[in-house]
Amino acid sequence: MRPFSKVELARYDGMNDRPAYVACNGKVYDVSTSFLWQKGDHQVLHRAGADLTEALQRAPHGEDLLERLPVVGTLESDQRTKERR
Amino acid sequence: MAKVAREMVERAGVNVDQLVELLVKNAAAELTTYYYYTILRCNLIGLDGEGIKEIAEAARIEDRNHFEALVPRIYELGGQLPRDMKAFHDVSACPPAYLPEDLTDVDAILKVLVEAERCAVRGYTQICNMTAGKDHRTYDLALAILNEEIEHESWFSEFLGEGPSGHFMRRGDTSPFVSKFLK
Repeated sequence: MRPFSKVELARYDGMNDRPAYVACNGKVYDVSTSFLWQKGDHQVLHRAGADLTEALQRAPHGEDLLERLPVVGTLESDQRTKERR
Repeated sequence: MAKVAREMVERAGVNVDQLVELLVKNAAAELTTYYYYTILRCNLIGLDGEGIKEIAEAARIEDRNHFEALVPRIYELGGQLPRDMKAFHDVSACPPAYLPEDLTDVDAILKVLVEAERCAVRGYTQICNMTAGKDHRTYDLALAILNEEIEHESWFSEFLGEGPSGHFMRRGDTSPFVSKFLK
């Protein structure tokens, strides 16, 4: 599994035909093909390229819906990103 | 636009532009669902399909009612529907409820129906959460729609054998919760 730093993840925002990735509980999901993530936008309130673990706590659904989408990597901690550099 | 009505919602701390966008997306989901359910209902035939046709029809009509009920609130809050119907379809808050490949697979049709209803339940729960105690009129409307969407989900879920819901089919008029917004 490819590790993503938060900065790397932010590049996958779904804008200008870029892929749309979101992170949740350490996993990075590719939401590019989801009808509900067009142009990296989800229900007006959420943007791709971000860690949505916190936001999911307040969402009207659980991680099970994300699990229907492909996992493309893992989100590494800030500490791990520093070490990698 | 209902200028003061919008101002009251803004002053209560709601991002009205976001709310309006969500209402438009959900209105799109209702109208597109009405369209796709028309096709699904037409294909609910045979020994299994005919038994489900009646509730698919009730859900279809009520989804159209939801669209009709949402539109005035969108304009009251200063929003508008997209000029282009194709664009409206594509901003829907829920994926298209396409007819499955195998037209004889009633279970597959039921799964499409229940997934559409579940998407709607999530959407109106979100709007209720955003507006509770802040935007009374939108909350009242979203709650009325949510009540009907939950019943739709229950009907289809029962047919899929997911367990009893305690609900009955409509007896008489449709939209028992939303009809007050249509008068």
